Amino acid sequence: MKKKILAALLACCMCLSVAACGKKDEEVSSGTKFKDGKFVDTVKITVEVYDRGNDGGSDPTNNMYTDFIKKGMKEKYNVEVEFVAVSRWEEVQQINNLLAGGTAPDICLTYDYPTIQTYAGMDGVLELNQYLEQHKDKLPNLYNWLGDTNIYWDQDPNTGELWAIEGKRADIKRINTFVRQDWLDKLGMKAPTTKAEFEKMLVAFKDNAKLLLGDDADKMIPFSVSYDVGWRAANIIESFIDPAMTDKEFYVNGFDDRMYTQNGTKEAIRLLNKWYNDGLMWDDFALYGSGDSTEDDMIKAGYVGAFMHNWDYPFRNGEDSIQANLKRIVGEDAAFVAIDCFENSDGEYAKRAYSSAGDRKIFFPATNDEPLASLLYLDWISTPENIQYLQIGDEGVTHTKLPGGGVSIIPATGNAIQNSGQNIDLTITCNGLNLMNAEDTAKSAAYNYAGVDPSYVQTSIEVALNDAITVKNVNVGAIAAEEGMGTSLGDKRDIAFDKSVIASPSDFDKVWDDNMKDYLKSGGQKIMDERKEKWEATFGTSDMLP
Amino acid sequence: MKKQKSTAVVPKRKMSFKVYMKKYWQLYVMLFFPLLYLAIFKYAPMSYIQIAFKKFKINRSIWEMPWADNHGFKYFIDAFSNPDFLEALRNTILLNLLDLVIGFSIPIIFALILNELVFKRFKRVVQTVAYMPHFLSWVIIYGLALQMFAPSNGLVNLFLNKIGMETVHFLDDPILWIFTYIFLGIWQSFGWNSIVYLAAIAGINPELYEAAEVDGAGRWRKIWHVTLPGIKSTIIILLIMNLGNILGSGFDRPFALQNNLVMDVAEVLSTFVYKNGILGLKFSLTTAIGFFQSIVCVFFLLSANWISRKMGERGIW
Repeated sequence: MKKKILAALLACCMCLSVAACGKKDEEVSSGTKFKDGKFVDTVKITVEVYDRGNDGGSDPTNNMYTDFIKKGMKEKYNVEVEFVAVSRWEEVQQINNLLAGGTAPDICLTYDYPTIQTYAGMDGVLELNQYLEQHKDKLPNLYNWLGDTNIYWDQDPNTGELWAIEGKRADIKRINTFVRQDWLDKLGMKAPTTKAEFEKMLVAFKDNAKLLLGDDADKMIPFSVSYDVGWRAANIIESFIDPAMTDKEFYVNGFDDRMYTQNGTKEAIRLLNKWYNDGLMWDDFALYGSGDSTEDDMIKAGYVGAFMHNWDYPFRNGEDSIQANLKRIVGEDAAFVAIDCFENSDGEYAKRAYSSAGDRKIFFPATNDEPLASLLYLDWISTPENIQYLQIGDEGVTHTKLPGGGVSIIPATGNAIQNSGQNIDLTITCNGLNLMNAEDTAKSAAYNYAGVDPSYVQTSIEVALNDAITVKNVNVGAIAAEEGMGTSLGDKRDIAFDKSVIASPSDFDKVWDDNMKDYLKSGGQKIMDERKEKWEATFGTSDMLP
Repeated sequence: MKKQKSTAVVPKRKMSFKVYMKKYWQLYVMLFFPLLYLAIFKYAPMSYIQIAFKKFKINRSIWEMPWADNHGFKYFIDAFSNPDFLEALRNTILLNLLDLVIGFSIPIIFALILNELVFKRFKRVVQTVAYMPHFLSWVIIYGLALQMFAPSNGLVNLFLNKIGMETVHFLDDPILWIFTYIFLGIWQSFGWNSIVYLAAIAGINPELYEAAEVDGAGRWRKIWHVTLPGIKSTIIILLIMNLGNILGSGFDRPFALQNNLVMDVAEVLSTFVYKNGILGLKFSLTTAIGFFQSIVCVFFLLSANWISRKMGERGIW
């Protein structure tokens, strides 16, 4: 008897709960009318914004600049904008969760195209071409700023499907190598100009630790990397790539954006392996994960002699920048300076710069009920005067005018703090300084970092652009084998780099080859094969892009 | 105790449903909400196990998704032909077995020792200190572990270097990492796990000890012949529950403790599922793995229970 009652009760509950879960909302199409360039009834959209968790930053979803956007969109189109914060350091993870939960913002962005492709495969992304065709006349600023190149960069040449729009890089500078200028001075050395000189410098740092760091000599780290070796040794890896490599080879082996599978990378890592075993690198680099600040703290405290990172990394974050911290903690003359010393076989300092596309990709999840309002948002955010305001803010608050033209960014306070350099997290279609007057932009470039001596920024700009190569777009249609592989292969890549760096020199070949074999077996080879096949189907026997 | 209660609830077979309900309806009302909770949060979501057999589409209801290839078993085949999965499976079993073999007896021994302590206050202090680590999150424990064991600036290695010994790679050598993992697990949980045994020991009839004393039993004899048999059923029940967990493992412990250099031994099923499923968007594949994991767990649980009953113990049910 008891069992029966229990069963009946359970069954009731099940029915109730299943009924509650089973009912799914019908897709609500935007019923509001669009008249005279404005929505008749207020429309609401949500927009992703990165949360960088800066010390003393402003609220990324609610500050002076987001207010400016909200006000502008409301006045111009009667669109209400709400920002959704997503951690910059776990962006893909968080967006995945939001998408899977059906609560993703209407406008999402990510640096990772395979993720978008995977979602498209799950019917999770809106196809944009249809909406662009329908509304093109309402989007003059978007087309003006991005141009067909960036808008249709990811369009499938066969099906015409378009899942994402590429934001534009106004600034193509990528990764630089930095060394401590004051250490070079103290040792009476010149900045290295070749790999060999760089190594000599690291050895000199190590041998003179007592002189350079005094009582902290045992904390000396001549060259520092993080677990993400591919990024943090990019200049070295690039210098080992054959300058005569064909576009085809670069593309076929180019799924991994840290160049793991390119020919030449192995030798670059072998060099790191030597440095590691010679005690020139940070022993514990692989133990700290993404977003951990241990390494940054060591750099700020002045224990690190050299490192590679984004070309403006030491200058970022105003008062909390590496450069500002060094000055405070170590002394007035302590500073990192950008150098060029990794020559390739042609003797050039070839660095892969960014292409103007291939940066952040903007996509609309399938749960976006307001594609028009979302496109209008992109149009509004691509308007030159809005880009300018978001990048430099108000005079006297975020910037001052320079005597010869251009502006200088000053440390802002409270609500006016920019959480990312030039607010790139808000100007999602524009990455890098882009003022309405191109001349002003050039003049301001070195003055863009609050509290940093502009001469250091100027050097870094020059180094970053010296012998830089821009990456060309290869569009042969979607590569099915890449779908969903980004994370697992990326993890394998990091593991392979880390293990190879710390291997004993005699084991290096074995460690590298074993990991590479595993990588290829786990899907890497399939991707290469499909890339090769699709390249040949599109470009025939040609080895170079037209 | 339990038996007495249940005989009170079901008195005579003959009692009619109406009379029965009239007498005990309050109990069922009280049961209603827990059952509702179970139904909504534990049973209804189970319909999504279907994802393991279907091609996942994000904006369609689970009932409308198309079936996967190979009669719906594509993802199971994928999983078992995936070397990373097999490695994660091996690591899960290895780490859990080691945990069980090394870690299971420690709380028992600790409880026995505590029980022998004469000074009540000292006993309480020791007990509380031993519980403490249980309330630390694994992320914090990894932070502590780095401070202690990191190769270049961990305290232990600094000390070893000072006395002229080589650096020991507790965190980045795969074999040593396993020991660190097991050690930290025991350190975190032995105090907490001993509570159950202490409670069981407290429930032993003191007359038994008196009788043993009269018979001339010493300390060891009393532990061996009174205390241990007294808590035997508790030990067996916990052993069964632990065996049921041989393929399941918590997520935060391995995830927080692993790093790129030890991934060969540190990747377990829960972290594999997280990385491939949540991060890599392979929902179907990882649901299939989770489903497999659950089935194996149920199998272990049932067989452990069956064996213990065969051996004359009570078992869980």
